[in-house]
Amino acid sequence: MRIKNYILVLFLVVFQFKSLAQEQKMSENDIVAFKQSVAIVSKKIKTLSTDFVQYKHLDFLSKDIETSGKMIFKEPNLLLWQYKKPYSYSIVFKNGKILINDEGKKSAVDIGNSKLFGKINKLIVGSVSGDLFDDKEFSISYFKNKDQNITKFIPKDATLKKYIKQIELTFDKVDATVVQVKLLESSADFTRIVLKNKVINGKVDETSFTN
Amino acid sequence: MAKSMKLLLRISIILVLVLSSCSTNKVVQDYKSAPLEKTSLEVPYFANPTMDYVYKANITVYGNELTGIFIAKKINDTLHRVVFTTEFGNKLMDFEISETDFKVNFIQEELDRKIVINTLTNDFRLLLRKHYAISEQYENNESKVYMALDKDRMNFLFVSKSTNKLSKIVHASKRKEIINLFYTSEKDTFAEKIVIQHQNIKLKIELNYFNQQEN
Repeated sequence: MRIKNYILVLFLVVFQFKSLAQEQKMSENDIVAFKQSVAIVSKKIKTLSTDFVQYKHLDFLSKDIETSGKMIFKEPNLLLWQYKKPYSYSIVFKNGKILINDEGKKSAVDIGNSKLFGKINKLIVGSVSGDLFDDKEFSISYFKNKDQNITKFIPKDATLKKYIKQIELTFDKVDATVVQVKLLESSADFTRIVLKNKVINGKVDETSFTN
Repeated sequence: MAKSMKLLLRISIILVLVLSSCSTNKVVQDYKSAPLEKTSLEVPYFANPTMDYVYKANITVYGNELTGIFIAKKINDTLHRVVFTTEFGNKLMDFEISETDFKVNFIQEELDRKIVINTLTNDFRLLLRKHYAISEQYENNESKVYMALDKDRMNFLFVSKSTNKLSKIVHASKRKEIINLFYTSEKDTFAEKIVIQHQNIKLKIELNYFNQQEN
């Protein structure tokens, strides 16, 4: 009997510890304060450049596939997403066009008024700036741990849902900017993008978006 | 009399030409037949179950270009998992392929066509296949060619004499080449570059291995 109790206590202690280390749901007050702090930061953003490392996790692989590069955004909708390692591949969103440069081989896709690409553009910029909360496209839930706030976005749009099961944005608690974007697919596989060396409102040349 | 002899001669020359071109497949028509050195050949390039085979992929299909990441992993003795994603990581297709069977775990709606799935399954099966039973052998100065029967088709495996590495596989019918597979391999364990070139449809798949960055 005593041993049983002991095990129970031990189990509870361990369980408690585990739940402390993990994320907790935010309270209503937390959510309001968090949204405000992110809104203040993201409203200020005129330009944004950041390095990123992308980890593609496929459950059957022994190691995540790692690629890295740079992302630059300039208001209202110029966007460069550039892989530098281990190969060079970049994509620019500009004037309703997607410009692709694959190891020097260039091509362009006219997206015109394509709603999906509009959504994707908004999604990428929103993911990095954190400005996704007013988006009617998602149902959103809020979590926190010791150093970070985490928001989980589940797409409502049927088309978008086919590509992405859930988006998780992780924010640094101190400066309220996004440090990680995680895109979950319908299975156990996901893409995790870690943002580093972020510069907000630095000088960004139009020529960055020529590709 | 002389006329009919000439005609007979002509007919027999034509017959000989036709028959001789039938007896050797066009793929190896410039090679001479050689005695069989071995009855089987093992392809090492996708055979290691501990290795993640990750390639940058460029697909050209009827003038259209599609790029992404090609990933293959040997799951067990008979099965490979094959995934194709965009550079951004989202999956375009996810197959499980063995020599006799295949399963589609996922395929993007736009690609979900029987002809696409069948063509790629055949290509990947050829690419991932490890074991070939050899029934004929040919050679020239540069290469040894091993012929393996594949149902009503055949595979010709070209092994360079100087490096002793598999450099090409030609998947052919009795009359013509259907798929050419070119390998560039520095190491013996995998191929750095692979080109799958179709001869009957305008499809070319180019794979370039990329090393994982070390942290």
